[in-house]
Amino acid sequence: MTSQNTPSTAPQNAVDDAMDTVGKPPSPFIETWNYFRKNRGAYVGLIVIAIILFVAAFATFIAPYDPILQDRTAFLKPPIWMEGADPRYILGTDAVGRDILSRLIHGAQLSVSIGVFVVIISMVTGIILGITAGYFRGWIEVGIMRLMDTMLALPSLIMAMAIVAILGPGLENAMLAIAIVQLPHYVRLSRASVVTELNKEYVIASQIAGAGHMRQMFINILPNCMAPLIVQGTLGISSAILDAAALGFLGLGAQPPLPEWGTMLAEAREFVGSAWWVITFPGLCILVTVLAFNLMGDGLRDALDPKMKR
Amino acid sequence: MSFLDTKPGVPLLESDDLVRHYDVNRGLGKPSATVKALDGVSFTLEAQKTLAVVGESGCGKSTLGRQLTLIEKPSAGQLKINGEAVGDLSDKDAKMFRRTVQMIFQNPYGSLNPRKKVGQILGEPVLLNMDHLGRKEREERVRDTMAKVGLRPEFYGRYPHMFSGGQRQRISIARALILEPKVIVADEPVSALDVSVQAQVLNLMMDLQEEMNVAYVFISHDLSVVRHIADDVMVMYLGRVAEKGPTEEIFAKPLHPYTRALLASAPKIDPAQRVKAEPLTGELPSPINPPSGCAFHKRCPFANEHCAQVRPELRMFEGREVACHRVEEIA
Amino acid sequence: MALLEVKNLTVEFGSEDKPFRAVDSVSYSVDRGEVLGIVGESGSGKSVSSLAIMGLIDFPGRVTADSLTFDGQDLLKMPAKKRRAITGKDIAMIFQDPMSALNPCFTVEAQIMEALKVHEGGNKKQRRERTLDLLNQVGIPDPKSRMTAYPHQLSGGMSQRIVIAMAIACQPRLLIADEPTTALDVTIQAQIIDLLLKLQDDSDMGLLLITHDLALVSEAANRIQVMYAGQLFESGPADSIFAAPRHPYTQALLEALPERSTGNDRLSTIPGVVPGQYDRPKGCLLAPRCRYANDHCIQDRPEVTDFNGRDVRCFYPLNDQGQPTGQTTGQTAGETV
Repeated sequence: MTSQNTPSTAPQNAVDDAMDTVGKPPSPFIETWNYFRKNRGAYVGLIVIAIILFVAAFATFIAPYDPILQDRTAFLKPPIWMEGADPRYILGTDAVGRDILSRLIHGAQLSVSIGVFVVIISMVTGIILGITAGYFRGWIEVGIMRLMDTMLALPSLIMAMAIVAILGPGLENAMLAIAIVQLPHYVRLSRASVVTELNKEYVIASQIAGAGHMRQMFINILPNCMAPLIVQGTLGISSAILDAAALGFLGLGAQPPLPEWGTMLAEAREFVGSAWWVITFPGLCILVTVLAFNLMGDGLRDALDPKMKR
Repeated sequence: MSFLDTKPGVPLLESDDLVRHYDVNRGLGKPSATVKALDGVSFTLEAQKTLAVVGESGCGKSTLGRQLTLIEKPSAGQLKINGEAVGDLSDKDAKMFRRTVQMIFQNPYGSLNPRKKVGQILGEPVLLNMDHLGRKEREERVRDTMAKVGLRPEFYGRYPHMFSGGQRQRISIARALILEPKVIVADEPVSALDVSVQAQVLNLMMDLQEEMNVAYVFISHDLSVVRHIADDVMVMYLGRVAEKGPTEEIFAKPLHPYTRALLASAPKIDPAQRVKAEPLTGELPSPINPPSGCAFHKRCPFANEHCAQVRPELRMFEGREVACHRVEEIA
Repeated sequence: MALLEVKNLTVEFGSEDKPFRAVDSVSYSVDRGEVLGIVGESGSGKSVSSLAIMGLIDFPGRVTADSLTFDGQDLLKMPAKKRRAITGKDIAMIFQDPMSALNPCFTVEAQIMEALKVHEGGNKKQRRERTLDLLNQVGIPDPKSRMTAYPHQLSGGMSQRIVIAMAIACQPRLLIADEPTTALDVTIQAQIIDLLLKLQDDSDMGLLLITHDLALVSEAANRIQVMYAGQLFESGPADSIFAAPRHPYTQALLEALPERSTGNDRLSTIPGVVPGQYDRPKGCLLAPRCRYANDHCIQDRPEVTDFNGRDVRCFYPLNDQGQPTGQTTGQTAGETV
């Protein structure tokens, strides 16, 4: 049965033929999507996020009023389903006569951009630091990782407050502070993934092919580490929104009259007893947004993590 | 200097007393230990030949592969290609080296980047080492090589997860071949494959050897595969060479007690070939704390006092090299 | 009466309407004191069938069989609790990777004693003595000092010995060994196989040896079953099945072995790959890869038939010369290489 001059393609064509008749396994993206879709909570989260994003994107068109426009004839008007409401203001007005609905809609814009920018800043920096630490090991790793451990040892809000105190209050500085606070998570995560990937043979294969450090780190290894980072990023958006609200509430974040949800809460503090709507609606907005991002992050984790798959 | 010029009478690849030691940290307060993963290994490889490196896990055969491909630098000893010593390489020399020595890996799943298409995986060595080629020429070269290993052109844009183990190993072979190297170090290239697929890959490797004049350093634990593909065999035990010689002679009459034990331990399908021998007792000693004298003496049925004290060096006996004090008596 | 008797065992995964048959009506039996070897390539269903016997197939897998009797009792018809008592005590199983079979948090002693406690009881002292006994039995040098070792302190061969000690702790009557030596080196493999055969012989156990290694199974087993894509293709006595294969697959598998080829010639190959979930052929599962296949093979699926005292799933079993019998038409689909 053996013949020495068999052209090497003869049996292989048969292999290929067999291969082509195979119903191909679904692509990783489709597979992930199928897993994701089965998770009802994650699906709901995704829909809520889509709505929030839509509202944020078209805030100026959707919002009935300018968020900082004060109507001196309508202070602390309740929502329209209550007695004494002003029909023009669906969710009522605050202490200086601004439409709460409009402020919430514009607040969505602020919150979403805070979340996105914070995550982008800390993720990019974190990935660069984490990959460098995991790839080079040695004293570089020790230096970076011990710094991150120190940062994790401080309560995050206190550290954010300290940073804002140094930089001065304001939305931009608050975002920067939150980004710094979140940094260690991305560094640790990307370092851990890089260390596992480094042991795989494809990295050695590329090394033999002559790939330099930069190519290895960012072109060959990084794409294989993205799954946990994407999950962390999604969850990071929600904690950024939460932290920004907290800083805003403490008067260190967005400054009045910006319609940031946390700042709105802070302004409404004194009316908790008398006008519940002023404080309830911003709180609800924060709750729903954070919950939606968390649900989606959990769903993503389940879908991207091979260990959770059946 | 140039690795690429062949000189008459000079072997293509020469390993001269290669040594690789690792320092192992044994925890706080304890002194770090040295593992002699590779302890003085010499061999030569001629063009178009296949040298099999055989041994059990921990014998240093994979470490040897890592030194030959410069994944790691040897602690001592020299690697020579066409008579030129490979030391600290300039960028230009490194490129030349990579175009001379390439590698095939054991695990068809781990050795291909899951996020890269076949075309990108195969294109990487060309992109990095043949900078005179343009995008078009590079793609052409990738497609040519794919055809050589029996991969269809339409696989160019597919991801590794869409392929079976055997086909992934073909991709891995194509990646090693694409720079047209003179030497390919194959680290257990078929041990993860089923018998029928293993046969396909072995045939392909043999066909390519004829077609492209490549020499193999074939690292394996499977003796029947080695017997089939190799011209010469080097049996390793605990970082050192136990026996080295032409394949047929070693299989016909193994001299070193360890080689004998290896051959006797391997199950055989043909009852006539089975050797009734006591299985080797004990296990591979720890390389951190190797036995004195001959590393094999604690498991060797022929060992005596002398073996326990003096380490045997490789010496010629009956046309091959054996590291055993008592080879005359045993043979 | 056979110790274990399996009739038409089928294991399906996936949805009800488009199931994937990992094991497709497989029948076999193991006698007391017998070694049955099951051999096949990856995807042949050899491991899944043994997991099904142990009742280890979880949802969404579905196990069906005409009967699955152990020592005269049908395992499928008894309550789950009773079945677990039998599979825990009378049937034991060892796996490929000894390292993951041991709990890294506990010492060897603790793990073996735990196994003894569940099934045999006795006080602590008795159990400790029995543990020492077992370690001696599986050939662990200096067992006293190894008792307190953690799994990571042991080599692969030692760990597999410990796993075997745990498996035989309750004196099972059937031992299922699923690729017990695949993770080990050849010299250690020889030791472990010798140990398994010795234990089997001493206690008159039935041994079900599952492996991909044809040579290993031909040396160790009394009877051999060749499986392919979930189906039983051929079964017969070990000394004759590889000497004169009756099924084209067995023949092709043997020819693909390097040790069967002479010199530096090319090996004979089986073109293509084992059919997976999405590409099971309509007729004989081997038809696209079989060198003798004709239209009949492509259209219809053969049943297991008796041929010269051998069970063979083929329309045209091979004769002593290795040529198909009863075939009138020439070769079609398969490629002779």
